Amino acid sequence: MRWTRRRLGITLLGVMGIAIAAVPFLTDDRYLLKVLTFVGVNAIVVAGLALLFGYAGQISLGHAAFFGLGAYMSAYLTTTHQTPWLLAVLAGTGIAAAGGLLLALPSLRLKGHYLAMATLGFNEIMSVLFVELRGITGGNNGLSGIPFPSIGSFVIDTPAGIYLLVWGVAALAFLGAANLVRTRPGRAMRALHGSELGAVASGVDTTRLKVQVFALSAALAGLAGALYAHAVGFISPTQFSLEFSILLVAMVVVGGTGSLVGPFFAAVVLTLLQYVHALIPGLGNDVASVIQDWEVDISGMVMILTVIFLPGGFAALVRRKRIGVAVDGETV
Amino acid sequence: MTGKWLQRMLPATVVLTLVVASLAGCSQADSSSDEGGEETAKEPYTIGAVLSLSGTYAGLGEPEKNTIEMELERINEDGGVNGHPVKVVIEDDATDPAKAQAATVRLIEQVDVLAIIGATGTGQTMGMRGDIDRAGIPQVSVAGGTVVTAQFDPLVFQTPWSNSLVVPFTLSRLRDAGITKIALMYDTGGFGADGGDVVKATVGEYGISVVAEQTFNPGDTDMTAQLTMVKGSDAEAVVLWNAGKESAIVAKNMQQLSMMLPLYGCHGNARAEFAEGAGDAAEGFRFAAGKILLPETYGTDSMSYRVATDFVERYTERYGKAPDTFAGHAYDALYLIVEAMRRLPEGFTTAELRDEIERTDDFVGIGGIFTFTESDHNGMSEDDLVMYRIQDGAWVLDTP
Amino acid sequence: MDSAALLQFAIAGLKNGAIYALVALGFTLVFGSTGIINFAQGEFFMLGGMLAVFFVRLGLPLPIAVIAGVLATAGIGLAFERLALRPRRDSGPLVLIIITIGGSMVMKSLSRHVFGGSELSLPAFSEGPSIVVAGAAIERQAFWVWGLTIIAVVGLTWLYSKTKFGRSMRACSLSHEASRLMGIDTARIVMVSFGLAAVLGGIAGVVVAPLTQTSFDVGARIGVKGFAAAILGGLGNPIAAVVGGLTLGLVESMSIAFISSTYKDVIALVLLLLVLFVRPEGILGRATREKV
Repeated sequence: MRWTRRRLGITLLGVMGIAIAAVPFLTDDRYLLKVLTFVGVNAIVVAGLALLFGYAGQISLGHAAFFGLGAYMSAYLTTTHQTPWLLAVLAGTGIAAAGGLLLALPSLRLKGHYLAMATLGFNEIMSVLFVELRGITGGNNGLSGIPFPSIGSFVIDTPAGIYLLVWGVAALAFLGAANLVRTRPGRAMRALHGSELGAVASGVDTTRLKVQVFALSAALAGLAGALYAHAVGFISPTQFSLEFSILLVAMVVVGGTGSLVGPFFAAVVLTLLQYVHALIPGLGNDVASVIQDWEVDISGMVMILTVIFLPGGFAALVRRKRIGVAVDGETV
Repeated sequence: MTGKWLQRMLPATVVLTLVVASLAGCSQADSSSDEGGEETAKEPYTIGAVLSLSGTYAGLGEPEKNTIEMELERINEDGGVNGHPVKVVIEDDATDPAKAQAATVRLIEQVDVLAIIGATGTGQTMGMRGDIDRAGIPQVSVAGGTVVTAQFDPLVFQTPWSNSLVVPFTLSRLRDAGITKIALMYDTGGFGADGGDVVKATVGEYGISVVAEQTFNPGDTDMTAQLTMVKGSDAEAVVLWNAGKESAIVAKNMQQLSMMLPLYGCHGNARAEFAEGAGDAAEGFRFAAGKILLPETYGTDSMSYRVATDFVERYTERYGKAPDTFAGHAYDALYLIVEAMRRLPEGFTTAELRDEIERTDDFVGIGGIFTFTESDHNGMSEDDLVMYRIQDGAWVLDTP
Repeated sequence: MDSAALLQFAIAGLKNGAIYALVALGFTLVFGSTGIINFAQGEFFMLGGMLAVFFVRLGLPLPIAVIAGVLATAGIGLAFERLALRPRRDSGPLVLIIITIGGSMVMKSLSRHVFGGSELSLPAFSEGPSIVVAGAAIERQAFWVWGLTIIAVVGLTWLYSKTKFGRSMRACSLSHEASRLMGIDTARIVMVSFGLAAVLGGIAGVVVAPLTQTSFDVGARIGVKGFAAAILGGLGNPIAAVVGGLTLGLVESMSIAFISSTYKDVIALVLLLLVLFVRPEGILGRATREKV
């Protein structure tokens, strides 16, 4: 029984993977590809946040800042120093990871709400720096002319190419995260989420583990940010605000704790909600503008209703139906 | 189990019903504003517009949208462009450059527009540039940042007075008033920082020096600390560059500190909300802006006067309040495109449309009289600006 | 710098600080009885101001409109607790924090739909020029800010230490389970805490509106500042919230005086992070660390 369910799951994931990979061969609509690229970028951040929240039981209100760090680092290096793209992206990922480590080391000794405060404060500080460090960030006018991704003389300059690149990285991020939760550190993380005291008792170095997960999630955000910068070619400070951080948390919460698939789908839906024309093709312009106008209300309501009625997020709903018994509804 | 579930269900249902009800109410209100003009046989000319209808600049995007919808009806009632009805597809960028960019791609790829109006903000306008260039479609921005036309792009035009036009005008008036030392205050957001940069770069030409420079963040609620620094300097006037509610706070804080220095604002203060918010602290506040605030400054026998008063009347009648300068920028952007289309023969290309917009000569708009050249895509001059002063809560002409 | 200017900086800091303190009191109150951070506290501030303007526009005289604005905010606070938080009150703090984040998104966006995107003005509570003390000017509205802050902190301290209800609230903060076993109606305590927090946020919102105008998007910023003040002072204690608020206000105005107006927020936040890392219980917090 268990075996078949696992196989079913893998088959479904495989079909999904093929479907995602097939998109650029089925359509050449640049708008659709662009929006789906944004979805892939957000999915990479969510993979890290899902580990942090869903498995390690921590929330971060500062991941937009890590995203921005990666984006600015990579954009700055490629535009003003002609650094090769791959190196620049690695540097963007690295600086975000380092920032995450620096922030996590002192603050993760503290309990939940202090981390929320520390990350929120970090996001606000970075927002000011993105505006004020004009020599690097271009200030409010932003950084434009960010080159397309390239390795040597091979340039990825088509929407389909960038789409495949971003989704390839997203797939790797999710596969990596899925592997991680099955290994010993993953089990330790789950123990951490269930009961920190229990985790300590069973010999898990909780602080060290939390710091590692936080740095990993910051690195993924930085990587996503770097990819994003090269995909859109223009970045400015307003894109890395607290609101984006909150939206990212919303994706993980709605998706569900202790799951990677749930947050993934939530990332897809909540990102597409901002681009309703991509979500529902052929939608009338009047209806679309109303939905866009009410997007924040809808996201907020969905977030509240999910937490009230589906404490484990949509992942729990699926899990419950399939197994037929209520799974740990009260994990948080 | 069921009882507990019901207990959870009940309150949520109430909230949900409320939200759905208000949604329905809203969409009803929205669908009533559809444009007509379907009776013409020729295929429509479609223009795209990327405006901030939500997010930080929602207050600016709204009058822009109102204006476009109102003027569109009029254009189509008058037979459209050479018999072609005109359609404008408006996209909301939520004050986010990434969304502005995606909206641009959608307008180009899915809607197949001939030209794009927008964006409302400078950051959003700059974010669109890559795709505008790739598609070769003319863009008429309603954003005020200097960078929009200073970082020149042959495809991009701009209707608001840019800071590089308003700053020299303001500084020359300061010079005429015999002021040589100013305190400069600006917000760290896009508009203020841009203005601050232009002021610092050009004061020297007017024999003026900046003896105190203070900034504040959008959303700050008290500027007495910054103004105390200004008070300690030997400035003879304060120049304030900001378009938000912080301007009113600066004016009020100056009154509170009994600072008698003349306060000069900018076109960002040409909003009723400023005069209302600052109350009697705004008395004597000076700012440069276009003539729309007092149409008689165009000269009552001029074409500009007739265009402006007609627009103000129709707008006020339809929306219940007078249009602000942002409405005027949208009016100009729409007509710059439509007038260029009218001058072109059937079956023109977007490249020809761009060239024709650039050939705009003495177009009488709300913001001023536009004449574009190959190197000037803002197209106005200092003649289109006047200095206003607030007196008894209303703006009057400040004659030198 | 002369002493009058220095005093002026101090006054600016104390005025802003008192506003932060009022918002911080709301955070501390809810944290005290529920152990959660209410991310919607800043929206109560926004609602207080917006609703007062709304009632003035309906034609109510200013004092009545102000009181109605605060009461309506309290009503929204109570309704929010009852509808969104009560159903999940047995869950851990993270769930409840997330509900308040969702709530703040909805409140902010709905008020844009209802009141529009532009800023709105409220008349000053008492007319007249500012009062000059030793060369430094103080506007009249500032006395309202300080007065209401003092009333709020004295009232809350009295509530906590002298009333049965206050003692029940403190019991709740230690353990909901134990309090319930002791016969305390914890649900009522939580609801009243939210109502009071909304009242405090609402008061801060209406008293600030005449100084700064208000708009739908003012909540997030003041929420961050108030939250910072609450953590800076030490969560769960009214006096600490006020100390935190005033400290934050003074640090900001002194940063402008001696360092830079551009980086004042950064300086304040860096200071906050330092306090957080070195002394997580805050300036006045009890030194009992939660056991891990």
